[in-house]
Amino acid sequence: MDRRKHAGLARVKEAFLYDWQFRAGVAGVVILLALVVAAPLLASHDPYEFGVDNLAPPGTAGHLLGTNHMGQDAYSMILYGIRTSLQVALISSLISGVLGVLIGGAAGYFGGKTDLVISELINAFLMVPTFFLIMLIVALFGNSITNVMIVIGITNWPGNAKLMRAQALSLRERTFVRGAVAMGETRLQILFKYILPNGIFPVVANTTRGMAGAILTEASLSFLGLGDPNIISWGQMIYAGKNYITTGWWVSAFAGAATILTVIIFYLLGDGLNHVLNPKYAFESRGK
Amino acid sequence: MNKPYIEIDRITKWYPYQDGRIFHLGGEKKWIKAVDAVSLSLRQGEILGIIGESGCGKSTLGRLLTRLEEPTSGDVRIGGVSTKEMIRRDPKQFRRHVQIVFQNPFDTFTPRDTIEKILMRPLRNHRIGANDTERRKICLEGLESGGLCPAEDIMSRYPHQLSGGQLQRISIIRSMFLQPKFIIADEPVSMLDVSVRAEIIRILQDMSRRQKAAVAFISHDIALTRYISDRIAVMYLGRIVEYGDADDVIGQPMHPYTRALLSNCASIDPDEKTTPAAIQGEPPTPVNPGPGCYFAPRCHMACPACFESYPQISHFANGHYAACQRTAE
Repeated sequence: MDRRKHAGLARVKEAFLYDWQFRAGVAGVVILLALVVAAPLLASHDPYEFGVDNLAPPGTAGHLLGTNHMGQDAYSMILYGIRTSLQVALISSLISGVLGVLIGGAAGYFGGKTDLVISELINAFLMVPTFFLIMLIVALFGNSITNVMIVIGITNWPGNAKLMRAQALSLRERTFVRGAVAMGETRLQILFKYILPNGIFPVVANTTRGMAGAILTEASLSFLGLGDPNIISWGQMIYAGKNYITTGWWVSAFAGAATILTVIIFYLLGDGLNHVLNPKYAFESRGK
Repeated sequence: MNKPYIEIDRITKWYPYQDGRIFHLGGEKKWIKAVDAVSLSLRQGEILGIIGESGCGKSTLGRLLTRLEEPTSGDVRIGGVSTKEMIRRDPKQFRRHVQIVFQNPFDTFTPRDTIEKILMRPLRNHRIGANDTERRKICLEGLESGGLCPAEDIMSRYPHQLSGGQLQRISIIRSMFLQPKFIIADEPVSMLDVSVRAEIIRILQDMSRRQKAAVAFISHDIALTRYISDRIAVMYLGRIVEYGDADDVIGQPMHPYTRALLSNCASIDPDEKTTPAAIQGEPPTPVNPGPGCYFAPRCHMACPACFESYPQISHFANGHYAACQRTAE
């Protein structure tokens, strides 16, 4: 039983051994998740607590990475900020992934007028400056973290949809799809049973890379003051530190570094997944 | 049962010809006549071989018959019932009646499912068998009757773990689950090793006889088609140029194209006398052919009249006919 699953596992193992991007990405995400879980234990202060030392440089009075202008401990804030970043990354990518796969799959498989309308919609979405759109929607509907996640999700699907559409277009001509038609399966059955499961992998890899984008977008929104003020996020730390950059560089700098690191981790994971899920990619030939 | 059970009535597929222009200002719109008014009939349990060179429209005909493509015009009647009507009323019923076996067995099944899931799906979809236990039994029996043992082991495998011959047998078995009246076999053995071809052919013959299903066997392998078929139709550029009992068509080919095809077919017997009839030139494109006989430009016995209008059908004994006026002279 499940010989194929073993083959899949073997490939993941192979990727882990030979693909440094995959290895680094997985390790990074595991560390991030561990930090989220262990944040209350590792944090030296309550990140919401306003301390007495304002703008204390790193290392003073038990503040490992210093404090901001309100006296909050930067190290603890960064630890708690991971959760926000991961949350934004996961949920918004999930939304954009599901939307992209369904819409792109339907366009590619059904073809005809459906495809025409959806393709134009995708093009329209790709033309609109997404960030401006996100800002507009957040400004209109309020800046809670939920809104931010949903907005990032529904502005990022066109890329996924384009990928999925291309997959569906080529799968549509495959014998097993024609065979399913000949066996009397309905178009919806074929879409969900044959087109989506066989064409989803490039989208998975793309979505993982999209997570990096989502983290950056959330940070950018926060930096512009459109983030959720009730939540600790790296973008807001950078935003708050902006005014003190000459006297208290640490407020922005460490949050910025954390953002960059996390983005890199998700990029690596996305690249690694792309290699794992692409059967034509041979690990050995690329060297270690 | 001498009455034809399946009647293919002037089925036609024309594709618009893309010549790069968007507007056709003046001048006719061009068409590629892939399948042009093909009429054939099959009795229950009869195997009809359809032969012709590549690009003659054999596979398009197969796709039209299974409605994987909509015909431009024409219809197929099964037992007097129009399939056009049937597919509008109940597409599933049509799918049960007409099944197809594809050329490429390695791509016939979704790579993500086990054979068990692949076989159970149509049974569930068409409500064959009362429950899953019974359906599983049907699958196991089906596999065993196709010589796929041990069936339990095959069921748990994925398509990529099986050989082409095994997969093609499973494909035929799966089609037979629906008890079709009409099976289109589109070059079912051309991608398989010679050693397993006979087995596939045997299963196809066996099952169609047992279930009294008519089979359209599309192939470019003339020897094989002669072996399996009761009747043979020869296709050239979307039209049937000759039709008759397999032995008649192969033994006494009347159309010069059939003669050329046969004479270029290697024989096992080295002493057999053959007078190869050479065909000159490439097959012409099916873009607005005519007005004369489509084969005339390559035919060794063409006369000026052949270039003027499409030849009348000449009839011979046993329902054998050919679309050539020179051969009747």
